[in-house]
Amino acid sequence: MNRAVIEALELIYPSDRLLTRDVELLPYESDALTAFSAVPGAVVLPINEEEIIDTVRLCHQMALPFVARGSGTSLSGGSLPIPEGLTIGLNRLNRIKKLDPEQRIAVVEPGVINLHITEAAQPYGLYYAPDPSSQSICTIGGNIAFNSGGAHCLKYGMTSNHVLGLKVVLADGTVTTFGGESVDGVGIGPDLVGLFVGSEGLFGIALEITVRLMPQPELYRTVLAAYNDLGAAGDAVSMVVASGLLPGAMEIMDRLAIKAAEASVQAGYPDAEALLIVELEGEALQVGAEFDQLLDTIEESGAFEVRVAQNEAERTRIWKGRKGAFSAVGRLSPDYIVQDGVVPRSRLGEALVQINELKEKHQLDVANVFHAGDGNLHPLILYDGREAGALEKAEALAGEILALCINLGGSITGEHGIGMEKRDYLPAMFSEEEIDIMQALRRAIDPNEIANRGKMFPGGEAPALSQHGMHPLERAGLISRE
Amino acid sequence: MATAIEKCVHCGFCLAACPTYNLLGEEMDSPRGRIYLMKNVLEERLSADDAQPYIDRCLGCMACVPACPSGVEYGDLLVSYRALQEDQRRRPPLDALARKLVIETLPYPRRFRLAAQTGKLSKALSAALPDAFASMLSLLPTRLPPARPIPPVLPAQGARRGKVALLPGCVQQVLAPEINYAAAQVLSANGIEVHNPPDAGCCGSILLHIGAEKQARDIARRNFTQFPADVDAIITTAAGCGSGINDYELLFKNQPEAERATEFSRVVMDFSAYLAELGLREPAGFEEERRVVYQDACHLIHAQSLRAEPRALLNQIPNLRLLEIADAGMCCGSAGTYNIDQPTIAAELGRRKIESILAAQPDVIVSGNIGCITQMRQQLELQGNPLPVMHIAELLRQAYDGGP
Amino acid sequence: MTMYAPGSVTELQAVVRESERIHIVGNGSKTALHCAVNGAAIADLSGMSGIIEYQPSEYTVTARAGTPVRELNEALRQKSQYLPFDPLLPEQATIGGTVASNLSGSRRFRYGGVRDFILGAEVVDGEGRTFRVGGKVVKNSAGFDLSKFLVGSLGKYAIMTELTFKVFPDVPRFRCLGFLFEALEDALSAIYFINQSAYELDALDLAPARSVPPINRGKKDGNWKLLARLAGFDDTLPQRVERFSAAMTGDTATIQVEEIKDSAALWNPLADLSGEFLVKVVIPPKQLPAFDVLIAHDHRRYSVGGNIAFAATDDIAQLDAALDASGLTGLCLRGAVDSAVIGVPIDNALAERVKQVLDPQRKLV
Repeated sequence: MNRAVIEALELIYPSDRLLTRDVELLPYESDALTAFSAVPGAVVLPINEEEIIDTVRLCHQMALPFVARGSGTSLSGGSLPIPEGLTIGLNRLNRIKKLDPEQRIAVVEPGVINLHITEAAQPYGLYYAPDPSSQSICTIGGNIAFNSGGAHCLKYGMTSNHVLGLKVVLADGTVTTFGGESVDGVGIGPDLVGLFVGSEGLFGIALEITVRLMPQPELYRTVLAAYNDLGAAGDAVSMVVASGLLPGAMEIMDRLAIKAAEASVQAGYPDAEALLIVELEGEALQVGAEFDQLLDTIEESGAFEVRVAQNEAERTRIWKGRKGAFSAVGRLSPDYIVQDGVVPRSRLGEALVQINELKEKHQLDVANVFHAGDGNLHPLILYDGREAGALEKAEALAGEILALCINLGGSITGEHGIGMEKRDYLPAMFSEEEIDIMQALRRAIDPNEIANRGKMFPGGEAPALSQHGMHPLERAGLISRE
Repeated sequence: MATAIEKCVHCGFCLAACPTYNLLGEEMDSPRGRIYLMKNVLEERLSADDAQPYIDRCLGCMACVPACPSGVEYGDLLVSYRALQEDQRRRPPLDALARKLVIETLPYPRRFRLAAQTGKLSKALSAALPDAFASMLSLLPTRLPPARPIPPVLPAQGARRGKVALLPGCVQQVLAPEINYAAAQVLSANGIEVHNPPDAGCCGSILLHIGAEKQARDIARRNFTQFPADVDAIITTAAGCGSGINDYELLFKNQPEAERATEFSRVVMDFSAYLAELGLREPAGFEEERRVVYQDACHLIHAQSLRAEPRALLNQIPNLRLLEIADAGMCCGSAGTYNIDQPTIAAELGRRKIESILAAQPDVIVSGNIGCITQMRQQLELQGNPLPVMHIAELLRQAYDGGP
Repeated sequence: MTMYAPGSVTELQAVVRESERIHIVGNGSKTALHCAVNGAAIADLSGMSGIIEYQPSEYTVTARAGTPVRELNEALRQKSQYLPFDPLLPEQATIGGTVASNLSGSRRFRYGGVRDFILGAEVVDGEGRTFRVGGKVVKNSAGFDLSKFLVGSLGKYAIMTELTFKVFPDVPRFRCLGFLFEALEDALSAIYFINQSAYELDALDLAPARSVPPINRGKKDGNWKLLARLAGFDDTLPQRVERFSAAMTGDTATIQVEEIKDSAALWNPLADLSGEFLVKVVIPPKQLPAFDVLIAHDHRRYSVGGNIAFAATDDIAQLDAALDASGLTGLCLRGAVDSAVIGVPIDNALAERVKQVLDPQRKLV
């Protein structure tokens, strides 16, 4: 990175929070999407919002591209560094500044870990609802940039629905606030919170976030149903919806995903082609009545085994397998790509059949995990990066899956965002004019296009796919793959 | 078995569990980052010297292992990497001397006792130890406690329910002989016949931890012939021994004794695991309610998945109230020379741990590991707090005696 | 004044292109929003009406912006579904106007507001371009979410022509309880108690006791009534009502509990607010005591657990001053005003950038 930039950064940061040596930069070169990597020019670790603002202003003046990063858990390459750009690590801004259980709100810094809000709210009978699988480590700042979802979106929405107010620094250094502590958020005037959340870091950095908290349901009732056929599990979801129930979560895993989860957490899942998890939550009396209805529906749906979680420990175990399923696939395959397409719920069955056909065609394994309640598919495409061309083959299959989501009337991303990974597919979902308007909006906020440059929009300067190969330790015979 | 670095899918789930990441907030000081550094060193994108400070900062607490959904065996990876680097690492002369002293003294209780008493061990020596053993050395300035000999066979009290042998270990039996003594008494009170083979000794973990693989094997090998074959279990009261012996399969890979080593490691059990499985004979308990915090040792909770077992034991003691603390799985920072190499981090982790513990307002802190016990005592001393800290075997012994 | 009544998106585009300045109106149910148009041409979108696609099994509905809320509610009711954000003026407003002014009724309490249920839109911007924002499925995070931005945008950035919402199954039965409190603070404490409990209420509104018609007799000035509604199944509702009522009696300072017959009028927060001007105020509940003192002479109701205030007054200048003094913003819905937005202005740097892109000629007023 050029000397003038470093010198300018040295005026803001002491040396232990300005990382410039290779050994400090390399660990930042990927987030949770390792298919891409790029070494940043420098990493800074601010500890207060003034430093963030100064840094963004500096970047604007010097036209230096930057990316904000929390815990680096993006599955779309959203926090991938920009080559020779600046990575702003926000994980030290991890204070919960205010917790007001009476108004059911919390005011937090961007580096606060999602689950920590829930932990802080728990003594008051409250929790923070969005629960991405990575909630134990992902930060609110990242959740905001990518409008993270989770298993409970159908009923309670995504991150965007839980943010009431924001203080942000825009990419040109302007600091502005919108919304507040009322549950109506911005309420009067355009909903700027709604616009900022999910803008993938292209507008700027959230400095202070007001989130709403929800009362912990009095009772959860969680049922696990096993099917001999993936389609039958999909149909069961439609039947539950048709019965007028509004479950907090409906999740499906297929055989391969079950196998991975089982290997990882020994959840004791039944041996099945597909598993459906349905969870009802709310006031005990109401949930009790709804649960009887749910069990009737599940029985009719042809499940060959139905298990009801009898206590919190059993419920946790059911969810642990589901939440760790992505990473657990690491046990089955050296590499994988997670997709995040959405289809209308009634077309889930169709989508699964087509994914199966594509998988045959490309001769690749695909594990399916999805938020069935909202039609959000997470096919995990397994490949071995050590084989030449394997990544490209997997990418091709991923592309065809996204195309089928659009053809079925859905979206290319439900909750992971476009990031690096799906930017080439944006034109399949939006017209040229629509993309132009989004680009114009981006430039109106960030004339130099420095904030998270290279993400969301197709083309542009982008790091190449990284090379995979046999690991040197393996080559040396020191380690082996199970 | 050792597994590949590439099994790591970079999901970041380990970050939440890692004490150094929690403290420092830098990717290089996280398990994911360290794996990435090791990979880059091996791929020659990075020099080993550059990466070393970050690898050294790892406490080896293994909290990341259960947190990893992909099943990366971080512990094996770290041991393999350290062993690989050890050969290439140049050490300053003093360091090398201290290391030699460790290898030739610590595993041998008699030599160690002598050395300790005659003051031949110094801080220079502890500087060579990158793990839990060095914190025991910080007990040295005060005089050594008298030995508590245990008869070669301690008979079972009442109806005999089992037969075990006690692994004497090395440093702990010199510095805190009361632990094994209490363990033997408690086992006996539970109807267990306890054998104490006079020539059994160090398990070798201490040497494996400093990358002295060959010497570790040599000393471990000696134990294979010392124990009666018909015992139900070989009991250890030190967390590090238990988890170290679990690694024998790796240590003896491609060695003639590979099979025997694996067999041996299967018989070895932590004190709390064995008793919990057997079930306690109800102790007398305490006259007044005793509020107890159980401090999880990393090498029990993470390396051996022993979380419920010690708690089950404590819950069987009448009039004992077991208290839970925040972040129970977070390392207390005792990890050995950590106190000397990384004083700021170790002290901060210790401070946080004591803060969580004191918030629960206990009357006594118990742990299953001498390293943690020492760290807790030091932290309390800094605050002038006289709260007692003891091994779980010692508290159980009190419970059988109806109080201290 | 030029008036247009476009019947299609193409016609609307032409109107925008031809006009120097243009103001959008639906059914004109919120009179205050249409006063200060200063000679701009007016486009009446009530002709662009009708449900385009309703898929009960998908929980989604798409309708043209000029569709009356009444029509939409009726279609959903037939399939036992509803718009959980509870459009505020169900008999008068269009769905486009409801979104543009972000007006939710009391039932917003349970699941959220307009922003939480809008999925996508088709718009015509100030340049006469037409394009889609958001999506049509219940979950989507592709591209910038301009559909949420439209909520509350008052037609000043782009004109909505078509809207897609997420809908939910509705519950069959309701029961209502009224809790009387000596003072506002006591009633707010009760709200805070409910906020930290697991009781799931369908709606929760607060009003001066005298203003709630079926139960206003004999109540003293300064008394407040907390209205709570529970929704659910026949077989569990009575027990739930009993349990909730007992908890409120035991844990709050309520001085009287009564069951009130459920009715649409009871849950229309505007029903009893007479006065020349009617204003919506977004307010955190903790600011209510200080603000209430300033508007003690106005008719008022604190809806959605005390997060949205509706006030009716004959003296808009005084209300404006009260808002300014409290750091709050109000949206005037009824009455002749120079600007519908009163109190603290809502100018914002980010909104301005959007304006530059979607309506650089500043045609939309």
